[in-house]
Amino acid sequence: MNDRRYSIIARLGIVCLWALSSKLVSNEIMIPTIGGTLVNLIDIVTDSSFPMIIRSTLLRGLAGFLISLSLAIILGIAANISRLIYNFMMPILNFLKSVPTMAIIILALIWLSNSNAPMFVGFIMVFPILYETVLNGILNIDSKITDMAQLYKVGRITLIRDIYIPSVIMNLKTVLTSTLGLNFKMVIAGEVLSQPTYAIGSNLQLQKLYLNTPGVFAWIIIIIILINVLEWGIESAMKILKIRRQWK
Amino acid sequence: MKYGVKDLVKRYGNLEVLDRVSIQFEENKITCILGPSGCGKTTLLNIIVGSIAQDDGEVIGFDKEDMGFVYQEDRLIEWKNVRDNIEFVLRDRMDRKTREEIIYRYLKLVGLYEYANYYPTQLSGGMRQRISILRAFAYPSKILIMDEPFKSLDINSKQTIMEFTLKLKELKGKTCILVTHDIEEALTLGDNIVILSKRPARVKRIVENLHIADDNEDNAKGYRSTLRGLIEGEFID
Repeated sequence: MNDRRYSIIARLGIVCLWALSSKLVSNEIMIPTIGGTLVNLIDIVTDSSFPMIIRSTLLRGLAGFLISLSLAIILGIAANISRLIYNFMMPILNFLKSVPTMAIIILALIWLSNSNAPMFVGFIMVFPILYETVLNGILNIDSKITDMAQLYKVGRITLIRDIYIPSVIMNLKTVLTSTLGLNFKMVIAGEVLSQPTYAIGSNLQLQKLYLNTPGVFAWIIIIIILINVLEWGIESAMKILKIRRQWK
Repeated sequence: MKYGVKDLVKRYGNLEVLDRVSIQFEENKITCILGPSGCGKTTLLNIIVGSIAQDDGEVIGFDKEDMGFVYQEDRLIEWKNVRDNIEFVLRDRMDRKTREEIIYRYLKLVGLYEYANYYPTQLSGGMRQRISILRAFAYPSKILIMDEPFKSLDINSKQTIMEFTLKLKELKGKTCILVTHDIEEALTLGDNIVILSKRPARVKRIVENLHIADDNEDNAKGYRSTLRGLIEGEFID
Protein backbone atom coordinates (compact mmCIF):
# COMPACT_ATOMS: atom_id res chain seq x y z
CA MET A 1 0.00 0.00 0.00
CA ASN A 2 2.91 2.34 0.82
CA ASP A 3 4.49 1.68 -2.60
CA ARG A 4 1.23 2.63 -4.29
CA ARG A 5 1.05 5.85 -2.29
CA TYR A 6 4.62 6.82 -3.22
CA SER A 7 3.86 6.03 -6.85
CA ILE A 8 0.82 8.36 -6.83
CA ILE A 9 2.87 11.08 -5.09
CA ALA A 10 5.61 10.73 -7.75
CA ARG A 11 3.06 11.08 -10.56
CA LEU A 12 1.51 14.12 -8.96
CA GLY A 13 5.04 15.53 -8.56
CA ILE A 14 5.68 15.16 -12.31
CA VAL A 15 2.40 16.93 -13.13
CA CYS A 16 3.24 19.75 -10.68
CA LEU A 17 6.72 20.10 -12.20
CA TRP A 18 5.14 20.27 -15.68
CA ALA A 19 2.62 22.92 -14.58
CA LEU A 20 5.36 24.92 -12.85
CA SER A 21 7.83 24.80 -15.74
CA SER A 22 5.18 25.70 -18.33
CA LYS A 23 4.22 28.64 -16.13
CA LEU A 24 7.87 29.73 -15.79
CA VAL A 25 8.74 29.34 -19.47
CA SER A 26 5.39 30.70 -20.55
CA ASN A 27 5.81 29.55 -24.14
CA GLU A 28 3.35 26.94 -25.57
CA ILE A 29 5.88 25.84 -28.22
CA MET A 30 8.63 25.08 -25.68
CA ILE A 31 6.56 23.63 -22.83
CA PRO A 32 2.79 23.51 -23.34
CA THR A 33 0.34 24.08 -20.51
CA ILE A 34 -1.66 21.22 -19.05
CA GLY A 35 -4.88 22.89 -20.22
CA GLY A 36 -3.60 23.31 -23.80
CA THR A 37 -2.46 19.69 -23.88
CA LEU A 38 -5.83 18.46 -22.61
CA VAL A 39 -7.67 20.45 -25.30
CA ASN A 40 -5.45 18.84 -27.95
CA LEU A 41 -5.91 15.42 -26.35
CA ILE A 42 -9.70 15.75 -26.57
CA ASP A 43 -9.44 16.96 -30.19
CA ILE A 44 -7.25 13.94 -31.12
CA VAL A 45 -9.40 11.37 -29.32
CA THR A 46 -12.68 12.69 -30.73
CA ASP A 47 -11.34 12.82 -34.30
CA SER A 48 -13.00 10.22 -36.57
CA SER A 49 -9.59 8.80 -37.66
CA PHE A 50 -8.40 8.18 -34.06
CA PRO A 51 -9.66 4.56 -33.75
CA MET A 52 -8.08 3.70 -37.10
CA ILE A 53 -4.74 5.28 -36.09
CA ILE A 54 -4.64 3.36 -32.79
CA ARG A 55 -5.73 0.13 -34.47
CA SER A 56 -3.07 0.42 -37.19
CA THR A 57 -0.20 1.10 -34.77
CA LEU A 58 -1.43 -1.59 -32.38
CA LEU A 59 -1.64 -4.13 -35.19
CA ARG A 60 1.82 -3.22 -36.45
CA GLY A 61 3.29 -3.47 -32.95
CA LEU A 62 1.55 -6.72 -32.01
CA ALA A 63 2.17 -8.43 -35.36
CA GLY A 64 5.84 -7.43 -35.27
CA PHE A 65 6.16 -8.59 -31.67
CA LEU A 66 4.50 -11.94 -32.34
CA ILE A 67 6.77 -12.52 -35.35
CA SER A 68 9.84 -11.67 -33.20
CA LEU A 69 8.62 -13.90 -30.38
CA SER A 70 7.81 -16.89 -32.61
CA LEU A 71 11.08 -16.65 -34.53
CA ALA A 72 13.05 -16.24 -31.30
CA ILE A 73 11.44 -19.39 -29.83
CA ILE A 74 11.85 -21.48 -32.99
CA LEU A 75 15.41 -20.35 -33.76
CA GLY A 76 16.45 -20.39 -30.09
CA ILE A 77 15.34 -23.99 -29.66
CA ALA A 78 16.81 -24.96 -33.05
CA ALA A 79 20.13 -23.33 -32.11
CA ASN A 80 20.24 -25.43 -28.95
CA ILE A 81 19.65 -28.61 -30.92
CA SER A 82 21.85 -27.82 -33.91
CA ARG A 83 25.35 -26.38 -33.66
CA LEU A 84 25.03 -25.33 -37.30
CA ILE A 85 22.05 -23.05 -36.60
CA TYR A 86 23.75 -21.70 -33.45
CA ASN A 87 26.86 -20.73 -35.41
CA PHE A 88 24.74 -19.38 -38.29
CA MET A 89 22.77 -17.10 -35.95
CA MET A 90 25.84 -15.81 -34.10
CA PRO A 91 27.06 -13.28 -36.76
CA ILE A 92 23.46 -12.20 -37.50
CA LEU A 93 22.92 -11.41 -33.82
CA ASN A 94 26.25 -9.58 -33.57
CA PHE A 95 25.32 -7.58 -36.68
CA LEU A 96 21.91 -6.64 -35.29
CA LYS A 97 23.40 -5.65 -31.95
CA SER A 98 26.30 -3.58 -33.28
CA VAL A 99 24.81 -1.78 -36.32
CA PRO A 100 23.30 1.61 -35.32
CA THR A 101 19.49 1.45 -35.15
CA MET A 102 19.17 4.49 -37.39
CA ALA A 103 21.12 2.75 -40.19
CA ILE A 104 18.75 -0.21 -40.02
CA ILE A 105 15.72 2.08 -40.02
CA ILE A 106 17.01 3.77 -43.21
CA LEU A 107 17.56 0.36 -44.84
CA ALA A 108 14.07 -0.73 -43.76
CA LEU A 109 12.61 2.39 -45.37
CA ILE A 110 14.40 1.59 -48.63
CA TRP A 111 13.49 -2.10 -48.68
CA LEU A 112 9.96 -2.16 -47.28
CA SER A 113 6.62 -0.42 -47.72
CA ASN A 114 5.73 2.54 -45.47
CA SER A 115 3.39 0.36 -43.50
CA ASN A 116 5.75 -2.60 -42.95
CA ALA A 117 8.99 -0.72 -42.26
CA PRO A 118 8.01 0.19 -38.62
CA MET A 119 7.30 -3.48 -37.88
CA PHE A 120 10.78 -4.39 -39.11
CA VAL A 121 12.33 -1.67 -36.94
CA GLY A 122 10.59 -3.13 -33.87
CA PHE A 123 11.69 -6.62 -34.88
CA ILE A 124 15.35 -5.57 -35.22
CA MET A 125 15.38 -4.18 -31.69
CA VAL A 126 13.40 -6.86 -29.90
CA PHE A 127 14.40 -10.08 -31.67
CA PRO A 128 18.01 -10.24 -30.34
CA ILE A 129 16.77 -9.78 -26.75
CA LEU A 130 14.08 -12.46 -27.10
CA TYR A 131 16.42 -14.86 -28.93
CA GLU A 132 19.08 -14.63 -26.21
CA THR A 133 16.43 -15.06 -23.52
CA VAL A 134 15.27 -18.26 -25.24
CA LEU A 135 18.85 -19.52 -25.54
CA ASN A 136 19.56 -18.83 -21.86
CA GLY A 137 16.23 -20.40 -20.86
CA ILE A 138 17.31 -23.67 -22.44
CA LEU A 139 20.88 -23.45 -21.15
CA ASN A 140 19.49 -23.02 -17.62
CA ILE A 141 17.49 -26.27 -17.78
CA ASP A 142 18.73 -28.67 -15.10
CA SER A 143 20.91 -31.20 -16.95
CA LYS A 144 19.69 -33.89 -14.53
CA ILE A 145 16.18 -33.52 -15.98
CA THR A 146 17.42 -33.84 -19.57
CA ASP A 147 19.63 -36.81 -18.58
CA MET A 148 16.58 -38.45 -16.99
CA ALA A 149 14.56 -37.85 -20.17
CA GLN A 150 17.36 -39.34 -22.28
CA LEU A 151 17.63 -42.48 -20.12
CA TYR A 152 13.84 -42.95 -20.28
CA LYS A 153 14.18 -42.61 -24.07
CA VAL A 154 11.76 -39.67 -24.18
CA GLY A 155 11.32 -38.50 -27.80
CA ARG A 156 12.69 -35.19 -29.04
CA ILE A 157 9.23 -33.69 -29.67
CA THR A 158 8.07 -34.54 -26.13
CA LEU A 159 11.33 -33.11 -24.76
CA ILE A 160 10.83 -29.86 -26.68
CA ARG A 161 7.13 -29.56 -25.78
CA ASP A 162 7.36 -30.58 -22.11
CA ILE A 163 10.80 -29.33 -21.05
CA TYR A 164 12.25 -26.81 -23.50
CA ILE A 165 9.12 -24.72 -24.23
CA PRO A 166 7.96 -24.37 -20.57
CA SER A 167 11.53 -23.39 -19.52
CA VAL A 168 11.70 -20.88 -22.35
CA ILE A 169 8.29 -19.41 -21.45
CA MET A 170 9.30 -19.09 -17.78
CA ASN A 171 12.40 -17.15 -18.85
CA LEU A 172 10.51 -15.07 -21.41
CA LYS A 173 7.96 -14.00 -18.81
CA THR A 174 10.62 -11.85 -17.15
CA VAL A 175 11.31 -9.83 -20.32
CA LEU A 176 7.92 -10.00 -22.04
CA THR A 177 6.42 -6.75 -20.73
CA SER A 178 9.63 -4.71 -21.12
CA THR A 179 10.28 -5.94 -24.68
CA LEU A 180 6.64 -5.36 -25.66
CA GLY A 181 6.95 -1.73 -24.51
CA LEU A 182 10.31 -1.35 -26.29
CA ASN A 183 8.82 -2.85 -29.44
CA PHE A 184 5.98 -0.30 -29.47
CA LYS A 185 8.38 2.59 -28.93
CA MET A 186 10.50 1.41 -31.86
CA VAL A 187 7.45 0.85 -34.10
CA ILE A 188 6.30 4.43 -33.39
CA ALA A 189 9.84 5.72 -34.11
CA GLY A 190 9.71 3.79 -37.40
CA GLU A 191 6.32 5.36 -38.16
CA VAL A 192 7.72 8.87 -37.58
CA LEU A 193 10.22 8.23 -40.37
CA SER A 194 8.20 6.06 -42.77
CA GLN A 195 4.93 8.05 -42.46
CA PRO A 196 2.23 5.42 -43.03
CA THR A 197 -1.26 6.90 -43.63
CA TYR A 198 -2.71 5.77 -40.30
CA ALA A 199 -0.10 5.73 -37.51
CA ILE A 200 0.67 7.34 -34.18
CA GLY A 201 4.19 8.15 -35.42
CA SER A 202 2.90 9.94 -38.53
CA ASN A 203 0.65 12.11 -36.35
CA LEU A 204 3.49 12.91 -33.96
CA GLN A 205 5.53 14.08 -36.94
CA LEU A 206 2.56 16.11 -38.23
CA GLN A 207 2.19 17.93 -34.89
CA LYS A 208 5.93 18.63 -34.93
CA LEU A 209 5.71 20.12 -38.45
CA TYR A 210 2.98 22.52 -37.27
CA LEU A 211 5.09 23.29 -34.17
CA ASN A 212 2.06 22.18 -32.14
CA THR A 213 3.89 21.00 -29.01
CA PRO A 214 0.63 20.50 -27.01
CA GLY A 215 -0.36 18.04 -29.77
CA VAL A 216 2.98 16.21 -29.39
CA PHE A 217 2.46 16.07 -25.61
CA ALA A 218 -1.11 14.79 -26.13
CA TRP A 219 0.16 11.97 -28.37
CA ILE A 220 2.88 11.12 -25.81
CA ILE A 221 0.13 10.77 -23.16
CA ILE A 222 -1.82 8.47 -25.51
CA ILE A 223 1.32 6.33 -26.12
CA ILE A 224 2.03 6.05 -22.38
CA ILE A 225 -1.58 4.97 -21.70
CA LEU A 226 -1.48 2.50 -24.60
CA ILE A 227 1.78 0.84 -23.49
CA ASN A 228 0.58 0.69 -19.86
CA VAL A 229 -2.69 -0.96 -20.94
CA LEU A 230 -0.76 -3.50 -23.03
CA GLU A 231 1.63 -4.30 -20.17
CA TRP A 232 -1.30 -4.62 -17.79
CA GLY A 233 -3.00 -6.94 -20.31
CA ILE A 234 0.06 -9.18 -20.56
CA GLU A 235 0.53 -9.32 -16.78
CA SER A 236 -3.17 -10.13 -16.25
CA ALA A 237 -3.06 -12.86 -18.91
CA MET A 238 -0.01 -14.40 -17.21
CA LYS A 239 -1.73 -14.28 -13.81
CA ILE A 240 -4.86 -15.94 -15.23
CA LEU A 241 -2.73 -18.65 -16.87
CA LYS A 242 -0.93 -19.25 -13.56
CA ILE A 243 -4.21 -19.50 -11.62
CA ARG A 244 -5.72 -21.83 -14.24
CA ARG A 245 -2.64 -24.06 -14.06
CA GLN A 246 -2.90 -24.26 -10.27
CA TRP A 247 -6.59 -25.19 -10.48
CA LYS A 248 -6.08 -27.75 -13.22
CA MET B 1 23.06 -65.49 -17.71
CA LYS B 2 20.40 -63.08 -19.00
CA TYR B 3 21.68 -59.91 -17.36
CA GLY B 4 25.19 -59.40 -16.10
CA VAL B 5 28.63 -57.94 -16.46
CA LYS B 6 31.78 -59.95 -17.09
CA ASP B 7 35.37 -58.93 -16.35
CA LEU B 8 34.61 -55.21 -16.59
CA VAL B 9 37.63 -52.92 -16.55
CA LYS B 10 37.49 -49.13 -16.48
CA ARG B 11 40.35 -46.65 -16.18
CA TYR B 12 40.42 -42.86 -16.20
CA GLY B 13 43.99 -42.20 -17.36
CA ASN B 14 46.20 -43.91 -14.82
CA LEU B 15 43.38 -44.20 -12.30
CA GLU B 16 41.96 -47.69 -12.30
CA VAL B 17 38.28 -47.64 -11.24
CA LEU B 18 36.94 -51.11 -12.02
CA ASP B 19 39.13 -54.19 -11.97
CA ARG B 20 37.60 -57.25 -13.70
CA VAL B 21 34.15 -56.88 -12.12
CA SER B 22 31.80 -59.78 -12.85
CA ILE B 23 28.23 -59.87 -11.54
CA GLN B 24 25.19 -61.88 -12.51
CA PHE B 25 21.84 -60.11 -11.96
CA GLU B 26 19.10 -62.58 -11.15
CA GLU B 27 15.81 -61.90 -12.90
CA ASN B 28 13.04 -60.35 -10.77
CA LYS B 29 15.38 -60.02 -7.81
CA ILE B 30 17.01 -57.00 -6.20
CA THR B 31 20.78 -57.10 -6.49
CA CYS B 32 22.46 -54.62 -4.19
CA ILE B 33 25.87 -53.35 -5.15
CA LEU B 34 27.39 -52.37 -1.83
CA GLY B 35 30.67 -50.55 -1.59
CA PRO B 36 32.40 -47.66 0.13
CA SER B 37 31.81 -44.13 -1.19
CA GLY B 38 33.86 -43.34 -4.29
CA CYS B 39 34.73 -46.96 -5.05
CA GLY B 40 33.31 -46.85 -8.58
CA LYS B 41 29.70 -48.00 -8.05
CA THR B 42 28.20 -45.20 -10.15
CA THR B 43 30.81 -45.81 -12.88
CA LEU B 44 29.67 -49.44 -12.94
CA LEU B 45 26.02 -48.30 -13.29
CA ASN B 46 26.90 -45.85 -16.04
CA ILE B 47 28.58 -48.66 -17.98
CA ILE B 48 25.55 -50.91 -17.49
CA VAL B 49 23.12 -48.25 -18.80
CA GLY B 50 25.47 -47.41 -21.68
CA SER B 51 26.27 -43.81 -20.65
CA ILE B 52 30.00 -44.54 -20.67
CA ALA B 53 32.08 -47.25 -22.35
CA GLN B 54 34.17 -49.85 -20.56
CA ASP B 55 37.83 -50.37 -21.43
CA ASP B 56 37.48 -54.11 -21.32
CA GLY B 57 34.94 -56.77 -20.47
CA GLU B 58 31.36 -57.38 -21.41
CA VAL B 59 27.89 -56.07 -20.51
CA ILE B 60 25.30 -58.76 -21.10
CA GLY B 61 21.60 -58.31 -21.81
CA PHE B 62 21.14 -54.59 -21.05
CA ASP B 63 21.75 -53.05 -24.46
CA LYS B 64 18.34 -53.86 -25.92
CA GLU B 65 16.31 -53.41 -22.74
CA ASP B 66 14.34 -50.38 -21.57
CA MET B 67 15.17 -49.40 -18.01
CA GLY B 68 13.56 -47.41 -15.24
CA PHE B 69 15.72 -45.16 -13.07
CA VAL B 70 15.68 -43.79 -9.54
CA TYR B 71 18.43 -41.42 -8.46
CA GLN B 72 19.53 -39.81 -5.24
CA GLU B 73 17.56 -36.72 -6.34
CA ASP B 74 13.95 -37.25 -7.41
CA ARG B 75 14.42 -35.50 -10.79
CA LEU B 76 10.77 -34.49 -10.97
CA ILE B 77 9.76 -31.72 -13.38
CA GLU B 78 8.70 -28.77 -11.23
CA TRP B 79 6.04 -27.38 -13.60
CA LYS B 80 4.27 -30.72 -14.01
CA ASN B 81 1.98 -32.26 -11.44
CA VAL B 82 2.44 -35.82 -10.16
CA ARG B 83 0.23 -37.33 -12.87
CA ASP B 84 2.02 -35.45 -15.67
CA ASN B 85 5.44 -36.31 -14.26
CA ILE B 86 4.65 -40.00 -14.59
CA GLU B 87 3.02 -39.46 -17.98
CA PHE B 88 6.14 -37.71 -19.27
CA VAL B 89 8.13 -40.97 -19.38
CA LEU B 90 5.19 -43.00 -20.75
CA ARG B 91 4.07 -40.61 -23.51
CA ASP B 92 6.22 -41.98 -26.32
CA ARG B 93 5.70 -45.60 -25.25
CA MET B 94 1.92 -46.04 -25.43
CA ASP B 95 -1.37 -44.42 -26.42
CA ARG B 96 -3.20 -41.94 -24.22
CA LYS B 97 -5.80 -44.41 -22.91
CA THR B 98 -3.19 -46.96 -21.81
CA ARG B 99 -1.16 -44.20 -20.17
CA GLU B 100 -4.18 -42.99 -18.21
CA GLU B 101 -4.95 -46.55 -17.08
CA ILE B 102 -1.39 -47.20 -15.93
CA ILE B 103 -1.09 -43.90 -14.04
CA TYR B 104 -4.48 -44.41 -12.39
CA ARG B 105 -3.68 -48.04 -11.47
CA TYR B 106 -0.25 -47.28 -9.99
CA LEU B 107 -1.38 -44.25 -8.01
CA LYS B 108 -4.33 -46.23 -6.62
CA LEU B 109 -2.14 -49.24 -5.88
CA VAL B 110 0.08 -47.31 -3.51
CA GLY B 111 -2.64 -45.03 -2.14
CA LEU B 112 -1.28 -41.85 -3.71
CA TYR B 113 -4.17 -41.09 -6.05
CA GLU B 114 -5.20 -38.04 -4.04
CA TYR B 115 -1.80 -36.50 -4.85
CA ALA B 116 -2.25 -36.82 -8.64
CA ASN B 117 -2.75 -33.07 -9.13
CA TYR B 118 -0.10 -31.93 -6.65
CA TYR B 119 2.99 -30.15 -7.95
CA PRO B 120 6.46 -31.26 -6.70
CA THR B 121 6.85 -28.02 -4.73
CA GLN B 122 3.75 -28.98 -2.73
CA LEU B 123 5.29 -32.33 -1.67
CA SER B 124 7.82 -33.27 1.02
CA GLY B 125 11.22 -34.70 0.05
CA GLY B 126 10.10 -38.22 0.95
CA MET B 127 6.88 -37.93 -1.02
CA ARG B 128 8.75 -36.62 -4.06
CA GLN B 129 11.09 -39.60 -3.95
CA ARG B 130 8.09 -41.94 -3.73
CA ILE B 131 6.73 -40.41 -6.93
CA SER B 132 10.14 -40.85 -8.57
CA ILE B 133 10.14 -44.55 -7.56
CA LEU B 134 6.54 -44.94 -8.73
CA ARG B 135 7.45 -43.37 -12.09
CA ALA B 136 10.29 -45.88 -12.48
CA PHE B 137 8.00 -48.83 -11.69
CA ALA B 138 5.22 -47.53 -13.98
CA TYR B 139 7.68 -47.32 -16.88
CA PRO B 140 7.32 -50.40 -19.07
CA SER B 141 10.68 -52.08 -18.51
CA LYS B 142 12.04 -55.30 -17.07
CA ILE B 143 14.94 -53.57 -15.38
CA LEU B 144 15.08 -50.92 -12.69
CA ILE B 145 18.28 -49.09 -11.80
CA MET B 146 18.49 -47.33 -8.43
CA ASP B 147 21.50 -45.17 -7.59
CA GLU B 148 21.57 -44.38 -3.84
CA PRO B 149 17.86 -43.45 -3.89
CA PHE B 150 17.55 -43.07 -0.10
CA LYS B 151 20.76 -41.11 0.50
CA SER B 152 19.18 -37.67 0.96
CA LEU B 153 16.26 -38.84 3.12
CA ASP B 154 15.91 -38.70 6.90
CA ILE B 155 15.78 -41.98 8.85
CA ASN B 156 11.97 -42.11 9.15
CA SER B 157 11.32 -41.33 5.49
CA LYS B 158 14.03 -43.78 4.47
CA GLN B 159 12.34 -46.70 6.29
CA THR B 160 8.89 -45.84 4.87
CA ILE B 161 10.21 -45.47 1.34
CA MET B 162 12.19 -48.71 1.51
CA GLU B 163 8.95 -50.47 2.49
CA PHE B 164 7.18 -48.62 -0.36
CA THR B 165 9.85 -49.87 -2.80
CA LEU B 166 9.50 -53.46 -1.56
CA LYS B 167 5.71 -53.27 -1.90
CA LEU B 168 5.99 -52.07 -5.48
CA LYS B 169 8.61 -54.73 -6.20
CA GLU B 170 6.22 -57.43 -4.94
CA LEU B 171 3.37 -56.02 -7.03
CA LYS B 172 5.41 -55.55 -10.15
CA GLY B 173 8.34 -57.90 -10.61
CA LYS B 174 11.39 -56.23 -12.05
CA THR B 175 15.07 -57.03 -12.14
CA CYS B 176 16.43 -54.34 -9.84
CA ILE B 177 19.97 -53.11 -9.37
CA LEU B 178 20.42 -50.99 -6.26
CA VAL B 179 23.66 -49.18 -5.64
CA THR B 180 24.28 -48.17 -2.04
CA HIS B 181 26.97 -47.70 0.58
CA ASP B 182 24.50 -48.39 3.42
CA ILE B 183 24.55 -51.92 4.86
CA GLU B 184 21.04 -51.58 6.37
CA GLU B 185 19.57 -50.63 2.98
CA ALA B 186 21.25 -53.63 1.38
CA LEU B 187 19.96 -55.96 4.13
CA THR B 188 16.39 -54.62 3.89
CA LEU B 189 16.07 -54.62 0.12
CA GLY B 190 18.69 -56.86 -1.43
CA ASP B 191 18.05 -60.47 -2.46
CA ASN B 192 21.69 -60.66 -3.46
CA ILE B 193 24.34 -58.38 -2.03
CA VAL B 194 27.49 -57.79 -4.06
CA ILE B 195 30.25 -56.35 -1.90
CA LEU B 196 32.80 -54.24 -3.74
CA SER B 197 36.27 -53.37 -2.48
CA LYS B 198 37.78 -49.87 -2.31
CA ARG B 199 39.05 -48.43 -5.59
CA PRO B 200 39.88 -50.09 -7.90
CA ALA B 201 36.58 -51.88 -7.29
CA ARG B 202 36.68 -55.64 -7.30
CA VAL B 203 33.92 -58.04 -6.28
CA LYS B 204 34.93 -59.16 -2.78
CA ARG B 205 31.97 -61.34 -2.07
CA ILE B 206 28.40 -62.04 -3.18
CA VAL B 207 25.97 -62.80 -0.35
CA GLU B 208 22.50 -64.23 -0.75
CA ASN B 209 19.99 -62.59 1.57
CA LEU B 210 17.14 -64.97 2.39
CA HIS B 211 14.92 -62.30 4.03
CA ILE B 212 13.94 -64.72 6.78
CA ALA B 213 10.59 -63.66 8.20
CA ASP B 214 10.34 -66.56 10.56
CA ASP B 215 7.50 -66.96 13.04
CA ASN B 216 10.28 -66.97 15.54
CA GLU B 217 11.39 -63.33 15.54
CA ASP B 218 14.65 -64.22 17.26
CA ASN B 219 15.63 -66.45 14.31
CA ALA B 220 15.03 -63.63 11.83
CA LYS B 221 16.95 -61.16 13.98
CA GLY B 222 19.76 -63.63 14.44
CA TYR B 223 20.05 -64.29 10.71
CA ARG B 224 20.11 -60.55 9.90
CA SER B 225 22.69 -59.93 12.60
CA THR B 226 24.96 -62.72 11.30
CA LEU B 227 24.67 -61.36 7.76
CA ARG B 228 25.40 -57.82 8.94
CA GLY B 229 28.49 -59.09 10.78
CA LEU B 230 29.68 -60.90 7.69
CA ILE B 231 29.24 -57.83 5.46
CA GLU B 232 30.85 -55.50 8.01
CA GLY B 233 33.77 -57.90 8.15
CA GLU B 234 34.24 -57.61 4.41
CA PHE B 235 34.00 -53.82 4.62
CA ILE B 236 36.73 -53.61 7.30
CA ASP B 237 39.07 -55.89 5.34
